[in-house]
Amino acid sequence: MTDRPRAYKTEGVILRRRNIGEADTIFTVFSASLGKFDAIARGVRKARSHMRGHLEPLTRSRLMLARGRSLDVFTQAETIDPYRHLHEDLEQSALGVYCCELIDRFGAENMEQEDVYLLLVDTLAAIDGGAPGHIARYFEVQLLALTGYALRLHGCALCNARLPEEDTLISAPAGGLVCIACRARAGTGRIISVRAVKVLRFASSTTLERFAALRIDPDTEHEVALAIGESLRTALDRDPASARYLEQVRRLTPAAERPMNAEPERLEPADSI
Amino acid sequence: MAEREARTPEPITRLIEAFNRLPGIGPKSAQRLAYYVLRAPAAEAEGLAAALRDVKTRIQFCQTCLNITEGERCSYCSDPRRDQTVVCVVEEPLDILAIERTASFRGLYHVLHGVLNPMDGIGPDEIRIRELVERLKDGTVTEIIMATNQSLEGEATAMYIQRLVGPAGVRVTRLARGLPSGADLEYTDDLTLARALEGRQEI
Repeated sequence: MTDRPRAYKTEGVILRRRNIGEADTIFTVFSASLGKFDAIARGVRKARSHMRGHLEPLTRSRLMLARGRSLDVFTQAETIDPYRHLHEDLEQSALGVYCCELIDRFGAENMEQEDVYLLLVDTLAAIDGGAPGHIARYFEVQLLALTGYALRLHGCALCNARLPEEDTLISAPAGGLVCIACRARAGTGRIISVRAVKVLRFASSTTLERFAALRIDPDTEHEVALAIGESLRTALDRDPASARYLEQVRRLTPAAERPMNAEPERLEPADSI
Repeated sequence: MAEREARTPEPITRLIEAFNRLPGIGPKSAQRLAYYVLRAPAAEAEGLAAALRDVKTRIQFCQTCLNITEGERCSYCSDPRRDQTVVCVVEEPLDILAIERTASFRGLYHVLHGVLNPMDGIGPDEIRIRELVERLKDGTVTEIIMATNQSLEGEATAMYIQRLVGPAGVRVTRLARGLPSGADLEYTDDLTLARALEGRQEI
């Protein structure tokens, strides 16, 4: 017998919900100390439930739970950050949902993953603060690295050779950039521009704030998104379901509202491409 | 050795399996229901069978608003006294009943039959948004009221539709957000309380 306490506290971000029966809901939570877990909130769909608003997906909350037989039960919940702007803007909520889906798919159950948690809450706070859509690229690159799928971006992923500064093959099965000599055994991949490689390297080495401040032209961002998309698909064995929705939402946005394309700025010098 | 096997007559097994497929019904409840039907008077069982058949053969979606109806158009759409210029957009047919109970709305409805839920793969093409856009084309409707639930998914659906039809000149409104009656301020979440403050009214 483990002597676990009967009630415990944690803080976490609500990722998704599943309604059960008349008024109960099972929530998937990602917490700093416990990783991903499911727990049930009884009666939470009734209008007078005390916990209802505090357990809304894409909300960061302090939680108190009691051990249950199969599922633990929420006993108290209190919002830490409701990410209000994120909930009230179509693109931002789509971005937030996308990040939460990736966490749901990559997050390990009942295992501490504080670095992943910090990445999630920092990214959601940045989106809430109006960060541009390419913040998702930073989130993807960092999440892949933290969950053991780091992309090799310096030197060939297969033979470690130095890579010349030119268009390069990036291969999801090989796990990163691949030199010309190794292309034949790299499996599938796509050729990406030097500029896209620099964006990927910047995403893997910089801070969230600095990446958010970066201005990327839409073509390069698209290139980067496709390259990382293949790595995500290889790691997850499927496409994230909300990626398509994110694309549909972006297409709805009048072009004038989208950030104008500009030359990438503040990219770190490419010392060893 | 002969296999020991509990044998239930095939029609009962079939009925148990059918009940078991219903949401919230486990194998034990399914057995109990099946044996109840077995013992019930023939008329009661026939009534159940007829009700099941009718609901699938006689009920269809209203051609205009996609509410469930027996005819081609539902009772709201075929009522000329209702305001034809205002459409209230709801997630499910049951939401119409809730709004009708208030007796405060005399316009028409549109049922989306779902709500955007991208994580579960429910995007704009999976719910009845296209039908709504089609319906707005002839210019009769001047306002749509987004009455989707006040959840992440409901808000996203409302914003999506606003973005889609707003540029066409249709006024898009959203149900007010704030405290439900009987709410306890102490337990109210920050988002709801902030919206309630912003939406305060003079008394």
